[in-house]
Amino acid sequence: MSTSSALDTSAPADSSAAPAIEATDLVKQYGDFTAVNNISFSVTRGESFGLLGPNGAGKSTTMRMIAAVSSRTSGTMYVSGIDPQAEGPRVRARLGVIPQQDNLDEDLTVRENLIMYGRYFGLPRKYLLAKADELLEFAQLTHKAKARVEDLSGGMKRRLTIARALINEPEILLLDEPTTGLDPQARHVLWDRLFRLKETGTTLVLTTHHMEEAEQLCDRLIVVDHGEIMAEGSPAGLIREHSTREVLELRFGMDRNPEIAAALETELGNREGLGYSHIEVLPDRLLVYADDAEAALEAIHADGRRPMTSLIRRSSLEDVFLRLTGRTLVD
Amino acid sequence: MSTSSPTADKDAISAKVGARGALYQAERILRSMRAYGGVILFSSTFQPIMYILAMGLGLGALIGATDDFVEYGAESYLMYIAPAILASTVAMSAGIEFTFPVMAGFRWRREYYAAQATAITPGQIALGHIMAASVRFLVHSVIFLAVLFIFGVLSSPLAWLQLFTAVLGALAIGLPIMAYISTLREEKGHAALIQRFVIMPLFLFSGTFYPLSNLPVFMHPIGWLSPIWHTNELGRVLAFGQPTSGLMIGVHLTYLVGIVVVSYVFIRRTYIRRLGYEEWGGRTPGAKRAARKQQALETKEAAQAAWQGDAPQPTVRSGLFSNMYSGNIRAVFQRGIMAIRNSTGLIFVSGFLEPVLFLASFGLGISPMLEGGVEAADGTISYAAFIAPALLAVAAMNGAVFDSTWNVFFKLRMTKLYRTMMATSLGPLDVAVGEILLALFRGALYALGFLVILTGAGLVSPAAALLMWITALFIALGFACVGMAATSFMKRFQQMDWMMMVLIPMFLFSATLFPISVYPAGVQAVIQALPLWHGVELMRDIAFWEFSSLTLVHIGYYLVMILVGGTIATYRMKALFLR
Repeated sequence: MSTSSALDTSAPADSSAAPAIEATDLVKQYGDFTAVNNISFSVTRGESFGLLGPNGAGKSTTMRMIAAVSSRTSGTMYVSGIDPQAEGPRVRARLGVIPQQDNLDEDLTVRENLIMYGRYFGLPRKYLLAKADELLEFAQLTHKAKARVEDLSGGMKRRLTIARALINEPEILLLDEPTTGLDPQARHVLWDRLFRLKETGTTLVLTTHHMEEAEQLCDRLIVVDHGEIMAEGSPAGLIREHSTREVLELRFGMDRNPEIAAALETELGNREGLGYSHIEVLPDRLLVYADDAEAALEAIHADGRRPMTSLIRRSSLEDVFLRLTGRTLVD
Repeated sequence: MSTSSPTADKDAISAKVGARGALYQAERILRSMRAYGGVILFSSTFQPIMYILAMGLGLGALIGATDDFVEYGAESYLMYIAPAILASTVAMSAGIEFTFPVMAGFRWRREYYAAQATAITPGQIALGHIMAASVRFLVHSVIFLAVLFIFGVLSSPLAWLQLFTAVLGALAIGLPIMAYISTLREEKGHAALIQRFVIMPLFLFSGTFYPLSNLPVFMHPIGWLSPIWHTNELGRVLAFGQPTSGLMIGVHLTYLVGIVVVSYVFIRRTYIRRLGYEEWGGRTPGAKRAARKQQALETKEAAQAAWQGDAPQPTVRSGLFSNMYSGNIRAVFQRGIMAIRNSTGLIFVSGFLEPVLFLASFGLGISPMLEGGVEAADGTISYAAFIAPALLAVAAMNGAVFDSTWNVFFKLRMTKLYRTMMATSLGPLDVAVGEILLALFRGALYALGFLVILTGAGLVSPAAALLMWITALFIALGFACVGMAATSFMKRFQQMDWMMMVLIPMFLFSATLFPISVYPAGVQAVIQALPLWHGVELMRDIAFWEFSSLTLVHIGYYLVMILVGGTIATYRMKALFLR
């Protein structure tokens, strides 16, 4: 336990000038299990920062430590220059938290949910009446103001949860898997709302195992696995660094993938000009990493191999993750 | 042995389910009951023992003369009430089995819809539920009868037939409730309303603890209407051969069977409507009234002036305990009030009804059996005056314990309300104190209602009533602190059931319904160690305006509860709210 952290609060006293989040050598253990193993990162103000990793990688634990609801085993952390473990309420007053599961107040109406949440921050009721209407507008829920929470659709509940987290005009918004379980249309509406917030200068910190989301929303991200940081950078930078430009996806039918992969590796490895890197074998398909996937496919055809289906696409963060950890994100 | 898979012949499956579907549904419910198996076994074993010791022996000693019951065929008071306690406790569990599990099936866990997707029919789902509950009642009755047998209070060879009358009685009270609950779209305290306005009155005015004829004539129809009274009377015929005409036995049986059959017809129709092709969603009673109330509130808000000036800052404190307490208890309290306002107001207001009903039932029903009254320090007092202050203490305990354990645990685990609160600038101490204040506020209203009635009936003086009102809050605070401390150690819902199980014996052995002097010294010492006895005696000291050094001991006992419970709860605050 870093009990000394209260003493060396030599971190900036003026909280508005401090970085949004500053974490150094962060460790969280539950008994013998190490959920977060010595990670350090920093988030500047106005930045959109992502934690990317599979389930159980330690993302949510890290978020809970930032949100001042979980203590750390060792290391230091400052949120707006304040230690969340020592001054929980002061830190939480600056945060907007969007949990993985919507935990709206089922005893209250949609509008009352917003007002009551604002009351938890000690904001005057009179102010909240107008603010709630403004947020209902923002979340496209004005027509549902009087409805019961349980009558809302999944997408509406998610938007209400986000609107609720904005009631205190937070400096930092923490989003834990913001669009998991939403249909594509609802997801795009949500992304649009988050873009707008980013434009107004709100710092966004989000966890996701949804690659498209990370690419859409994050300026910078860390890839986390088994509680450790595997890589750090911008989405485009990470792809450049850890993957080829294009990917060729091939299906040869059940059980034949590993054997064909071995053959392809030698065949493609001997060819020039493809920018060939390597092959990943997944249960249902092969991923051929090459800068020119079109040419790679032609070469495979030329060798007389006939895949059942083939698909050429650009590399994504999914591929980066696969390269770094040997695992897919959703398994 | 068949070599082909049992899933091969689909038509055979459908025929088999057509014949036995209700049994499969019953099996599912019985298996899910196993999670509560320990609680069910414990309650059906210890409840009878507790009731026999407390009511049969304790109240029996107060009533004294046993020849009163000879005309009914019973040799003692205990023998007289035993079959009725069997019938009543089984009927009370019907109030549970046909409310929450039905709502869980239709709405909370939607288990019925899983069954609906198979070859089982809606009618079979309803019947299976009833069959499973009946098995539970039967197990309860077998254990209960065994205990009664051991205590030697069954004199007739036909006594075992009470197994069937008890189950029949439980169905006669449970099925109408099921018929009502199954039409509901959502449960907004309706089960609590049924408990307070139907089960409790029927239980208390059904001639369980005394012959129905002890009550004033105008109250007899309550007993005639109550399936519990009919079951009690049948039980007494079977247990010790209470002299009853064949016609009356026929009336009792016909009434009970009639209710069961009519209710079943309604239940079956509702299940077919909801789980069949019609896909009926159920009713929402009070929805229109709630919408009107909401509208009125908004009109009021709209009339207020708009906010002027800059955006305000969140409330936070600095200095001592700033990590635990942000100085915003008010918001937590307000949230509770807002939730109460959105729920059925009747539930909130009717909370004081329970002690009133107890007072009416025991005050009117037991008094005729006592010669004179109860001996107090200066002469004898009426039985009603004896139990009234004690019932106030019991009500304070029940309310505070329920709010600080069950309600807190529910918000912690089910609705995750505290997780929401802990995402804001609130500290755990704000939440804890806010919740305790809310419980006290509710308790204060209930106690006020009860005291107004007591003062009106001339059972306590206005000055004493005022002091008793404050004392009720003091007692409630003691139980709330201990309850919250205990809840911080609870992990599963079953553990909560065990905690509630402590309350019934505590009530029965608190000297509420009879003086502690009826017990031998050893038992007295145990009772005096329990908190409720001190609350009961403290209330009596005030009501009778007789104070002694013991009064200080009672007050001290609660101060210790508040201090120790409060300290543990504060220490465990993070375990409570930050998990």
